[in-house]
Amino acid sequence: MTEVRISQIRVGETILDQPFPAGEGTLAIMSEDERDTLQEMMNIAFGRAAASLAEVISIFVCLSVPCVQLFKGAQLVSYLQQFVGPFPEISIVEESFYGKMEGSAFLVFPADAGGQLVPLFGDEETLYEGEAREDVERDALLTTGGILIGACVGKLAELLGDQVSYSPAKLVARTQEKTIPAGLCDPGSIAIVLKTDFSFREESVQGFLFLVTSQQSIGWLKQALADFLAQYEG
Amino acid sequence: MTKTLQTVLIVDDSPISRKMLKSCFPKERDFQFHEAGDGLQALEKYKELRPDLVTMDLTMPVMDGVTALTEIKAFDPEAVVIVCTADVQDKSLQEVTEKGAFLILPKPPNKASVQEALCKVEESA
Repeated sequence: MTEVRISQIRVGETILDQPFPAGEGTLAIMSEDERDTLQEMMNIAFGRAAASLAEVISIFVCLSVPCVQLFKGAQLVSYLQQFVGPFPEISIVEESFYGKMEGSAFLVFPADAGGQLVPLFGDEETLYEGEAREDVERDALLTTGGILIGACVGKLAELLGDQVSYSPAKLVARTQEKTIPAGLCDPGSIAIVLKTDFSFREESVQGFLFLVTSQQSIGWLKQALADFLAQYEG
Repeated sequence: MTKTLQTVLIVDDSPISRKMLKSCFPKERDFQFHEAGDGLQALEKYKELRPDLVTMDLTMPVMDGVTALTEIKAFDPEAVVIVCTADVQDKSLQEVTEKGAFLILPKPPNKASVQEALCKVEESA
């Protein structure tokens, strides 16, 4: 069941591959080098996040090549819905981060992922004992999501010379129509989306992480990318 | 006895990542660089060029780094492959070591880590 859902999500990936058609001029906001650098940073950051998770639970995370895309705020919600619909329910661990780079991270899992993750945290009988099943599975998702998001965003910020703080992670399991908060991005502004797919080899759980940062962060981000690249020049 | 490295094949799907790694090699040494953007290209270029050293990313399209490493080592058991990766999970590192990687260079590379890796390769010959 899980695999079918995710394969459909991946099919959706091609639908909006070019969020900004040539001629709109918006691609010029970030150069190819800047996007490539950000993509490589996301690759490094998620690799560290996977290693951090493996230190806590015995799991191997299969990584994929991340992608970086720019969207007009008005396009963002429909873009994100390409990845989460048309499934009736999904689970999203959502965490906001604050620093020079500000935004939100969303870790998207199939709705039943919590149940598959629980055994990785210890003996199931003990974990479920005296607890509502839903609460235990929620904790497993929140813990997994919190580690992946915290380590990924933290490493990304470190590479960019920033330090971020976080809002507490929260779990949202919503229907397709209400998955993406409508106010996520100002319709008139530009959003940077960093997306990476992953799967847990042992548990057949697949999902993806995307970070959305707002137009206000772009100026700082471009400078930070230039500073990062400068250490490799000359 | 030490071996002096001259030809290097840098394998990474990210052009910026290849550029970053190249810039970490000592400037005073006259390295001859070749590049490949995925594992399959790497395998083809290895067979054609037989470089002294290969640096191999793991997460790549077309053919991943683990497969490329395996294929290269099958073609030439003496191939020297340094895995330069963001995937620093113990299981990944263990897997590439078993497949014959000479050593692992965690991303992002820097001049010191590259210099250290080069010394290890040259001293091992």
